[in-house]
Amino acid sequence: MNSDLPMSRIVVSAEGVTKVVPTAAGQLVILDGIDLEINAGESVAIVGASGSGKTTLLGILAGLDAATEGAVRLVDADLSRLDEEARALVRGQYMGFVFQSFQLLGSLTALENVMLPVELRGDRMAADQARQLLTKVGLQERVDHYPRQLSGGEQQRVAIARAFASNPKVLFADEPTGNLDTQTGEVICQLLFELNQEFGTTLILVTHDRGLAERCDRTIAIAGGKVAL
Amino acid sequence: MNLALVSRLAWRDLRSGEMGLLLVALLVAVGTVTSISLFVDRLQGALVQESSNFLAADRQISSSQAIPDDFFLRAQSKGLETAQTLVFQSMIYGGDNNQLVSVKAVDEAYPLRGELIVADQPFADGYPINGVPAPGEIWLDSRLFPALGVSLGEAVEVGMASLRIGGVLVAEPDRGGSMFDLGPRLLMNLQDVPATEVVQPGSRLSYRMLLAGDNDELETLKEALPLQPNYRWASIRESSSSIGNALDRAESFLLLGGLLGVLLAGVAVGLSAHRYAQRHFDHVGVLKTLGATPGQILRGFMGLLLLVGSVAILLGLAAGGLLHLAIVEVLAQFLPVALPVPGLRPFVLGAVTGLICALAFAMPAFVHLKNVAPMRVIRRDLGVTPLSRWVSYGAAAIGSLVLLVWYTNNLWLTFWALAGAVVVITVFGFVAYWLLRGGRVAGMQAKSGWRLALSGLQRRRQENTAQILIFGLAIMLLLVLVLIRTALIEEWRSQIPENAANHFVMNIGMDEVDGVGELIEEFATQGEFLYPTIRGRIVAINDLDAKAWRAQKPQVRRRMSSERNLTWMRTLPGNNALTEGEWWDVGDARPQVSLEQEYAQEMGLTVGDNMTFDIGGQRIDAVVSSMRTLQWESLSPNFFIIFSPAALEEFPATYMTSFFLEPENKSFLNTLLSQYPTITVIEIDSVIEQVQTIINQVTQAVELILVLVLFSGCLVLIASIQASRDARMSELALVRALGGTRRLIAGSLTGEFLILGAFAGVVAVMGAEVTVAALQTQVFELSASVHPWIWLLGPLCGALIITVVGLLGSRSLLDSPPMNVLRGLN
Repeated sequence: MNSDLPMSRIVVSAEGVTKVVPTAAGQLVILDGIDLEINAGESVAIVGASGSGKTTLLGILAGLDAATEGAVRLVDADLSRLDEEARALVRGQYMGFVFQSFQLLGSLTALENVMLPVELRGDRMAADQARQLLTKVGLQERVDHYPRQLSGGEQQRVAIARAFASNPKVLFADEPTGNLDTQTGEVICQLLFELNQEFGTTLILVTHDRGLAERCDRTIAIAGGKVAL
Repeated sequence: MNLALVSRLAWRDLRSGEMGLLLVALLVAVGTVTSISLFVDRLQGALVQESSNFLAADRQISSSQAIPDDFFLRAQSKGLETAQTLVFQSMIYGGDNNQLVSVKAVDEAYPLRGELIVADQPFADGYPINGVPAPGEIWLDSRLFPALGVSLGEAVEVGMASLRIGGVLVAEPDRGGSMFDLGPRLLMNLQDVPATEVVQPGSRLSYRMLLAGDNDELETLKEALPLQPNYRWASIRESSSSIGNALDRAESFLLLGGLLGVLLAGVAVGLSAHRYAQRHFDHVGVLKTLGATPGQILRGFMGLLLLVGSVAILLGLAAGGLLHLAIVEVLAQFLPVALPVPGLRPFVLGAVTGLICALAFAMPAFVHLKNVAPMRVIRRDLGVTPLSRWVSYGAAAIGSLVLLVWYTNNLWLTFWALAGAVVVITVFGFVAYWLLRGGRVAGMQAKSGWRLALSGLQRRRQENTAQILIFGLAIMLLLVLVLIRTALIEEWRSQIPENAANHFVMNIGMDEVDGVGELIEEFATQGEFLYPTIRGRIVAINDLDAKAWRAQKPQVRRRMSSERNLTWMRTLPGNNALTEGEWWDVGDARPQVSLEQEYAQEMGLTVGDNMTFDIGGQRIDAVVSSMRTLQWESLSPNFFIIFSPAALEEFPATYMTSFFLEPENKSFLNTLLSQYPTITVIEIDSVIEQVQTIINQVTQAVELILVLVLFSGCLVLIASIQASRDARMSELALVRALGGTRRLIAGSLTGEFLILGAFAGVVAVMGAEVTVAALQTQVFELSASVHPWIWLLGPLCGALIITVVGLLGSRSLLDSPPMNVLRGLN
């Protein structure tokens, strides 16, 4: 699907990314000069202990948060030089997200949730296309259900369908199985990798789950705000 | 976000109930304002119309000289209706009897407002009639028939003319216009006046030109006519101060009611908008991660607000219109005349109110949504920088100000209402905070349900302080309205108590006083006073001849030396208040006078001046020892000049008294007058009845508005409880999940609401007392008063209402499994 991208092309890069937040006890350094490069089509797991800064790193790589110092590039955009308005456009154009807590909009049905990213881009998405995606994740019977009528695993499947709806170049996943039992987690994991394969998407995920990390092409470990060697 | 997406999101939010409260709050704001203004607009029109009946016109020009034809031509050229009346006293003859009557000659157009009531037989019930006596015909008051010994169809001599009795006159609209119009009424056609030959140079005549029509045209005419110095212009407000005051105050009250309705609705809109925004932080975070830009979020939610606002405005206008129709329908039997057709203004007012409420109260919360950080979707602990209080309160304050000034056209009223609110918010914020702190100490010893309630109150201390303020503000505004209403109605009712004297008797000879008194005791209720009256005139002041004094003082416009009624009194009469000097001691032998303040000013007199009077050819001197103000509204006789007993006690006097007579005993007047033919009876019963009717109608209007505003107040309470519902629910759902029984949760909720309500009641009572005192003294010109009963009632009602509304709003927590509650909140 993203076959026009050569496999070796770098889609995400970070250079000297630092994040410092003010606290009552003084400045707290969460990330301390992170450098990394991720190639198109690659699947990368960011791992680390609680509080190591891995989620913050994911947020900065995805343009959800701004680094205090350093540069982040995503495809051909320099995220660190963009304001929130422009970063949002980049997200809409290139990225997909899967979150630990699913983050579906409660007032929309499963189908409407899947159609949302494309609608936000101002394009029209045929309901059929969204239905197909929901069928791919096994929810063809539940398209008109609201999130509160779905189980955790089902909600995460809707979230995965939504993430692929905009045909993203990079998919960010934050603990995608963190809120699920082992068995359901395994199903979701399977689904994520299958679709990633099918869409040729670059996958960057943050996880505690060693098994999930091992399924990725590469693992980046974060400790004390730095990339552990 | 494009429009289609926005409308779909709005629709989905509406369908899921997320937008419901905001929509209802806006709808109620628009509906309340529309219905109140529609009703007030029409009622004001109707009240003014009803009051105009009192003049038989919208405006009146009166004079002792004939009104020039030019006045009529000018009025008619402006498209105004005109009519003319002439009132004079005359002795009439029927058979062998004669009687002094007050003749009113009218033209064919009379009356321009109100109607004449006639009857087929003397003392029978009357009915309205179109038209006036035909030339050659007269209509008489019932009691003239037995007094003269005549019946319908017979002739009566008025001056040189012989006129046929064509009807029985029961009431005329402008009877009250000249309260001391002596004697029973004879109504005749103006064309017959020359034939009577009673109008001679020197006759005491009262000419009136009646005017009706467009208000602006009337005011332009007033400016254009050469009125000074001989012609007096009067509208209802000038001609009857008691009605004028009642109308002014009622208008202020209706405006105040509308104003509070707007404020309360605005608060409800603000609260529900904040809740909506808060519940959409995650929503916006997700939209942002999916690529929505802050600009798109802003445009999208603004579009959403505009869409919901437009729907609310349309529905609100329709609901307001229907509500007002329902009110009119329900009250049809109480309402005075047919209400005039409403103008467009109430609808414009309603629509603009909706728009301003949306912009000032709801928009800041919506705009703030664009600042939600997308990072929030993966880091829930990332709070959202709270909306700057300056922005949200500032916008609300500016919005309120714009609305209130535009709505009331009254800066003072707006200022005092807002000042009250600001005082409450600042001072009572501290009170609420302090009360909550006090609650913690008490909570240490409390049992589990209460402890949970108090710890909940403690933990969300800032939110709860705000909530107490909002509850307090709503209860305070309602209390203010109730207290002001009560004060106004009491004030109106006290002006004319039930069984107030409705007849005055004058010219009672000294030897007749006992006999008249006994007769009155037998058939009627004796009034409170018996005043001696002595005719006399001023001849000199400070040894200067009256003419010379007048020449010296340019401000003196009255003829000083005309004869007037004088009296003497031992004590200051009830309706009078001293403004300067001192009232005499009973035993004081020095001759003194007390003057009405304005009269003294016009005459250029001050305390200490020496006045010389001529009484029956005898000169007496008296020193001005005090000044007084009078209550013209009191409908009791007022004297400009009162002497000390030492000055006039020895002079022969006639007496004046009053009595209350039931309408069905009206023929008693004939008995009285036949036994004492020289006395004069002045009937003010129709005046009193008219004043009472108008005041009753104004009172009903005031109470109606109160009910409408109470409804807005309840909405604020619901919105405020809804706004804090999520935080309260998620905590209690956790307690429930951990094994808290239904009873524990219910107890805790009840405790929390009882405490919040009672604290809010305390805050409200304090604020209400301050605001009511300010409004009473600054706007309604009443004296301030303290209301001990509300100090108990305020907290009690606050606790009760908030507990009931709060428990109803939280019952899903008690009745559904905690998992559902927690899921619903997420």
